[in-house]
Amino acid sequence: MPNRDVKPIDTKQIKEMLNRKKGKMKRYLSHCAHCSLCAESCFLYMANQKDPQYMPSYKAIHSLGKLYRKRGKVDRKVLTEMKGIVWRNCVLCGRCYCPIGIHIPSMIAFARSILRSQDIYPQLDEVYAESWL
Amino acid sequence: MYDFIRGQLVSIALIIFILGLIFQVIQFFKLTKKKEWVYPPLEIKPVKKSARQWVDTCLASLNGTLWKTDPLMTMMTSVFHVFLIGVPIFLLGHNILLDQSWGLSLWSLPESITDVLTLVILICVAFFLARRLFLARVRAITTLYDYVMLLIVLAPFLTGYLAYHQWFDYDTVMTLHILAGEVMLITLPFTKLGHMLFFFLYRFLIGNEYSFAKGARAW
Repeated sequence: MPNRDVKPIDTKQIKEMLNRKKGKMKRYLSHCAHCSLCAESCFLYMANQKDPQYMPSYKAIHSLGKLYRKRGKVDRKVLTEMKGIVWRNCVLCGRCYCPIGIHIPSMIAFARSILRSQDIYPQLDEVYAESWL
Repeated sequence: MYDFIRGQLVSIALIIFILGLIFQVIQFFKLTKKKEWVYPPLEIKPVKKSARQWVDTCLASLNGTLWKTDPLMTMMTSVFHVFLIGVPIFLLGHNILLDQSWGLSLWSLPESITDVLTLVILICVAFFLARRLFLARVRAITTLYDYVMLLIVLAPFLTGYLAYHQWFDYDTVMTLHILAGEVMLITLPFTKLGHMLFFFLYRFLIGNEYSFAKGARAW
């Protein structure tokens, strides 16, 4: 197995990335009314017994929202948890609907970019429990 | 303190509210750019429809909206938002105050109607609170901040209702009512209540599949 876990998390880089899109993403996050009306528009939510973890807003809040809340100061454990949220729980099909007009896929995609910058992304040889498949 | 809340703070709150909204609009236009979108040519030719067909089409198109997935919440939230804006603007008491201070006023709804509508708003807020407390999917994304925001929205209407019926000490309730309104105005442009403004910016100006208009701008 390649030593991909060795690279330390570059919180400075994460913070820089977060700052670059702060204007858009922080507005999206702050205007989310937490109404959960986006839930039914996600086919994964519907296919998983309406588990709240699959709600588009839940996924955005617990990935990108968390990164902004912690100002990028996160460790590998937190980022690895996010990996499951933004890759396994979301396929970025872009069908999620927000009544306010928040574009949720762009938030998930941005969270993916940040994780990828830290070498955290789905691997084909992952064990099932962590698998994104 | 009472005089400050009833006097200067009203002007301060209004100024913060208006300047805050202007600031947010300017920021939005700075952050977004006009973009040339390429639309596929429309192949469907408009067909003349009878009134009945129009109604049928409109009703059928509701199936693709939140009316289909969550009719109760859609109804409650639509009613809530319309009255939330409408009731304070067309309230007799507010218009009399406006007339006395600025010499201008809008037309007013009868007090008996605004009284019922305020009660409807309070019921809607109770419904939202119940959703937050008892619905797992809403609870999963709820934080203390959401309850605070709900309280900020509830407070002006609850105190207004109490003041109108003269329950408790009228002067104190009225001062609290004015203070609650000011807090709402001040917080609106900078918190999630800002969706009052950003709803229109996001849904009409940003190019998106779900845009109500053409949406020529992009982040």
